[in-house]
Formats: sequence, C-alpha cells, structure tokens
Amino acid sequence: MTEDVEMKELPAPSNSATSSSPSTLNHLKEIASLIETGAYAREVRRIVRAVRLTMALRRKLKAQVLCAFLNFALSPGSEPHNRLAAHLPKEDEHEMEFDTATSVSQSPVKHPLPELEIYCYLLVLIYLIDQKKYSEAKACSSASVARLKNLNRRTVDVLASRLYFYYSLSYELTGDLAEIRGNLLALHRIATLRHDELGQETLLNLLLRNYLHYNLYDQAEKLRSKAPRFEAHSNQQFCRYLFYLGKIRTIQLEYTDAKESLLQAARKAPVAALGFRVQCNKWAIIVRLLLGEIPERTVFMQKGMENALRPYFELTNAVRIGDLELFKSVAEKFSTTFSSDRTHNLIVRLRHNVIRTGLRNISISYSRISLADVAKKLRLDTANPVADAESIVAKAIRDGAIDATIDHANGWMVSKETGDIYSTNEPQIAFNSRIAFCLNMHNDAVRALRFPPNSHKEKESAEKRRERQQQEQELAKHIAEEDDDEF
Amino acid sequence: MDPKLAEVSQLFERFKAACAREDVDTCCNVLSKLKVLLTGFSSLPPLFEDTPNAIHELTLARDIYEHAVLLSVKIGDQDAFERDFFQLKPYYTDASSSRLPPSSQEYMILGLNLLRLLVQNRIAEFHTELELLSSTALENPCIKHAVELEQSFMEGAYNRVLSAKQTVPCKTYDYFMDLLAKTVRDEIAGCSEKAYGYLSVSDARQMLLFSSDNELLQYIKEEQPEWEIKTGQVIFQKAKESASCKEIPSLQLINQTLSYARELERIV
Repeated sequence: MTEDVEMKELPAPSNSATSSSPSTLNHLKEIASLIETGAYAREVRRIVRAVRLTMALRRKLKAQVLCAFLNFALSPGSEPHNRLAAHLPKEDEHEMEFDTATSVSQSPVKHPLPELEIYCYLLVLIYLIDQKKYSEAKACSSASVARLKNLNRRTVDVLASRLYFYYSLSYELTGDLAEIRGNLLALHRIATLRHDELGQETLLNLLLRNYLHYNLYDQAEKLRSKAPRFEAHSNQQFCRYLFYLGKIRTIQLEYTDAKESLLQAARKAPVAALGFRVQCNKWAIIVRLLLGEIPERTVFMQKGMENALRPYFELTNAVRIGDLELFKSVAEKFSTTFSSDRTHNLIVRLRHNVIRTGLRNISISYSRISLADVAKKLRLDTANPVADAESIVAKAIRDGAIDATIDHANGWMVSKETGDIYSTNEPQIAFNSRIAFCLNMHNDAVRALRFPPNSHKEKESAEKRRERQQQEQELAKHIAEEDDDEF
Repeated sequence: MDPKLAEVSQLFERFKAACAREDVDTCCNVLSKLKVLLTGFSSLPPLFEDTPNAIHELTLARDIYEHAVLLSVKIGDQDAFERDFFQLKPYYTDASSSRLPPSSQEYMILGLNLLRLLVQNRIAEFHTELELLSSTALENPCIKHAVELEQSFMEGAYNRVLSAKQTVPCKTYDYFMDLLAKTVRDEIAGCSEKAYGYLSVSDARQMLLFSSDNELLQYIKEEQPEWEIKTGQVIFQKAKESASCKEIPSLQLINQTLSYARELERIV
C-alpha cells in the first residue's frame, strides 16, 4: 500500500527527524482518515472526535511534520497546498525536497476534501500561534476565513467554529481586535442563515468578547439580547457565554443574575481550564460582596488559585470587618491587579458595602449609641462626619439593612430587638429556592441524556415481533386471571 | 476653501453670536439649518470617508454639536440633550483616536452627561458610561465631581450632595444640580419617615432645606399627606408595620406546593 511505503521510507533517510515525528505523523494521518469517513458518512461526531485528538497532539507539532502531513493530505502542486505551505517556515530545505520527491512518485493526485483542507488550515494556525508567530497567524487565519465563506457543508461547521476562534485569538494577541468586528458580524449573519448553530454560538461569544475587550458593555448587551438563543451545543461555549453574561449584568448593577451566571460558569467549566475558572471566581467574589454576602474561606483556597485570589481575599476581609481605612489601604495596595482585571470600578462601588457592614455590626452590638460615636467607628473621613453619619444611618434604615430608629434631638441611634427568624416566612423562601434549583438540575440532566442515534430506527424482525406479541398476550391473561382470583 | 464648508462656517459664526446674546429662538433655527447642511459632508459619521477636508469638517461638526449640547442645557430640554449627545459621542470615541485633536470641552460635556444620568436615576447606564472612560479621564475634576456625587448619593450622605452644589467645576452644571436637589429632598423625606419617630418642625425644616415653615407645611400637605403635625412636631406614621406578621401568604404556599408535587411526579 502506498501508505506503508511512505512510512517505511520516511524515518530512514531523515536524519534530523526525532523518533516522535513519525508517530505524530501517523496520528495525524489517522485523524485525517477519521475526518474523511466522517465527511462521507455525514457524521459530525467523528469530526468532533478528530478535533479532540488533534488538541492532544498539539505539543508535538513541528514544521517538518506539518509539511509532511500537508504533502500527504493535499496534492503538492495544488492551489491550497501552495497557500498553506507559504505560511510554514522553510526550516529544512532538504526535508522538503525529499518529501516532495516521495509524494510525487506516489499514487494519483487526490482530490482533497474541503474538510481536509480546512483541517490543514486549522493545524497550521495552531502551530503558528503556539510558536508565537502572531502576524503570520493573522494572515493565515484571514485567508482561511475567506476560504470558509465559500463552503457550505454541515460537516465543515465544527472545524469552521474552531477556525473562527483562532482567527479572533490571533487578532487579539496582536491587539487589532476592533478590525475584525465587521467580519465577525457578517460571519454570524451567514451562520444564522445556514442554521449552523455551533457556529452561531461560537461567533456570538467571540463578538461579546470583542465588545467587552473594549468595555463596550452597552453594545454587547444590545447584541446579546437580540441574538437568537437555543440549547447550547458545546459546554465550553456555554461556559464562556455565561461568563460574559455575568460580566455584563454586573456592570448593569443586576447582581443577583450576575451571581447566578458567574457561579454556573465556574461550576460547569472543565477542571483543566484554570485561568478561566480563576477569572470567573474573581468576578463572582466581587458580585457576592456587592450583594452583601461574604464568600466562605474555602472559595479562596481552591487548588491552584490561592495566589491569584489573594488580593480578593484581603479585600473580602476588609469588607467583612467593615473598616474603611483597611479597605482603602487594600485597594491601593493591589490597585495594579485590580486594574489589569478591569474590576477597578467595581471595587470603588464596594465602599458603600463596607460602610453598610460596619453599620450593621454596630447596630447589632449596641442597643443605643450616639451618632458621633458611629461616625468615629466607621472612620468616616469627611468634613461633617456626624451629619453624614445621620443621613447614612437613615438611608440604611430605609433600605432595611438595619433595624433601628434615630433620636434626632439627642443624637442617638436606638436599635430594635431582632425577632425570631424562624417564625417568619424566611426559611420557607430559602427552602423554596433550593428545591427549585435541585428540580431544575434534575430536569436538565434528563434532557441532556443522549441515546445512540440509530437505536430507534432498528426495525423489528418478524420473529421478534411475534415473540413480543406472545409475551404481551401472556401478560394480559395473567392480569385477567389475577383479577378473577381476587374476586 | 470648499464652498459648502465656507457656508457652514459662516452660519456657525452667526449661531455663536446668537448664543452669546442669549437669543434662544434664533439659536434653535440656525441650529436646525446647520444640521441639515452637515448631512452634505461625507466625512462625518457614519460614513467616515477620507475627503481632503476631512479634519476640518470633523472639527467643525464636533464644535457645532458641542454648542448644541450646551444650548439644550440652557433651555432645559433633556431630550434634546440626549439626542445631541448621542450624535456627539462618535466624535469622541471613534474619530479621536485617528485624526482629531482632543476637544477642550470634552470632559465637561462627558461630566454633564454623567450628571444627567444620575439625575434621571439611570444608574445602570451611568456605570456603563463610566466603564468607557480611561483612567486619565477619571482624574479630570469635572468627571470626578460626578463620580463622587454618585457615591455620596448611593451611600446616603445627602448633605454632601447638597454641599457639592457649591463646588461645581463650571456654571453649566447648575441646571442639573437644581434638579438633583429636588430628588435629594424626596429621598431625605423618605428616609426620615422610616428612621425617625418624630421630628421638631425646625429640625424638619432644616433637613429638608426649606427656607421657611410655610414652605415646609405646604410640602407636607402636597407630597406627604400621611405625616401629622402636632404641637410643633412632625409625626411620621409608623403604626401599620407590625400587623402583617400574622398572615400566612396562602396563595404563594399553595403555588409552591403544587409545583413540587408536579415535579416530583415527573421523576420516573
């Protein structure tokens, strides 16, 4: 077979090839054959598997291997091959010549499947990005996107969505994200027209990322609210969507929704995606602080995240104690971290929460305290602390944060007795939310069950049908007899 | 120079003169004419074509819109402000990065917009706009003023809000500060209702910033009919609170229990 011939010839004369190179090449060839079978049988699942296997091989890709694979997959003189090979660095001239020699002597020119061509684009792009050659990656990805606009096959969709992701990534790494916004919007339109749901999902996430990169929360929200929604196809894309949604909601002051989305994103994310989970957790912590609840210590002690979450841990500490001075010093100390995480504005909003928490502590500990003392304890550093304290306390009472009254004439704050929580409706409400959550989870799990696709198509053979009918008859007789017995 | 450009510049000079004279009607007329003429330029948003006079045209258009915004503040028309500001915004965000020199009034107008959102209680949009500002913008006194105002408002330190009226960075802010004062007064009234059992009339007058007792009485009669005035004291209604604990929200409980039953039945 021609493949065997190539395998035996390739390792022998190539002096610079390491021992892993032939096996990587073999893997790539296996993947290529998987893609071919998938394309012919129109089974998208095989192509998804192929992509997954490629990701495992990512570390081992080298220029020679890629050249060899390109020669194998696409016939050397053809248009696509020339375009792709131009992006790869010409490391080993000798290697290249030999490869072309062998492949020319091989069997007839294969007409490459479009899937295979797009797959080659994907491989080259991944290689370039891993090698940090971002400008070439940019050029390669633009070429691939141009090529994709002409293809309209469902089996290409999976590969296409990965290509869009790397396209956006290469532009982001070179800092030109705004340029491709128009392209991404056009691609999203095309994907919607073709009912390419995975592509739609991926492109929507890429667009949201694009807008959020430039802090254009308004436009991101407008896009998100108008874009068509459907059941998520890919878990990773769904996680990303939830994270972006959480961010938008946080900025728009809708903290409850934001908390739900962010926590869900952190939970659903795969364990290997450490960076993503760290970001989700950072935002989730801030949202919980803004809502007035203190996250538990275990959140900060998750594996691998201790260092990254350290600034947020100290911040939580300051908010928990209710000390404005400490809060200010922590915010200044870690201001660079907060600015790079873009959470700086949110931290500024937390000042209000610090004051509230401090006030709550005071209200619980004292039955009666003068307003001047309140101002001193809260460390309000303003021109007129007592008057400020009075207004702040009045607003806190109105918002229901503390239960007290102010005696203006004497300048006191008098706390009321807190009643027994269990005699109110509070426990019922808390239980209800938890029950609803568990039931939703159950329903989602049932809906996510997947059955092998052809099981319902199996036609019963005549024999089996007779057998089944016989069994049913017996059962019916049995039940009838039972009924008679009882009477 | 391009004849169209010359015409627009001339008209703009007339507009500025009318503004200085405080002649509001002429201003509005001339402004509408200017806006119509501006549609003739293709270098403006949304087209952003690269014509030879592009920079000149963009700068001129931006000045016109800035004056339009300031005019709308003067006549107190908030809708016109919003419209003109939205038209002005692309000049600050998109055009500035490429070609135009920064405008001297940019920060003042941005601060005005933030203040307007605060007064209209559109806090979510306030924060969204805030995100768009760079850190250098946040150091600018006009914008810092608006941000600190929002913080004081959120915290509830209303006296700080009212004292900030004295420290406005520029006179155009006065219009919004007056509106804000009115909102603050309503807030203070609401808070006082819940926080105090009663207040002496003089204290109430001081807190709500009325200059005389009569104004206070009028305010109470119009806005707060539940407050009672007895022997020189304002008494806030508080009796309604405790009665509600004894009821059971039966409808809610029934709904919840029914939904549990339905979901549990679905479990096979």
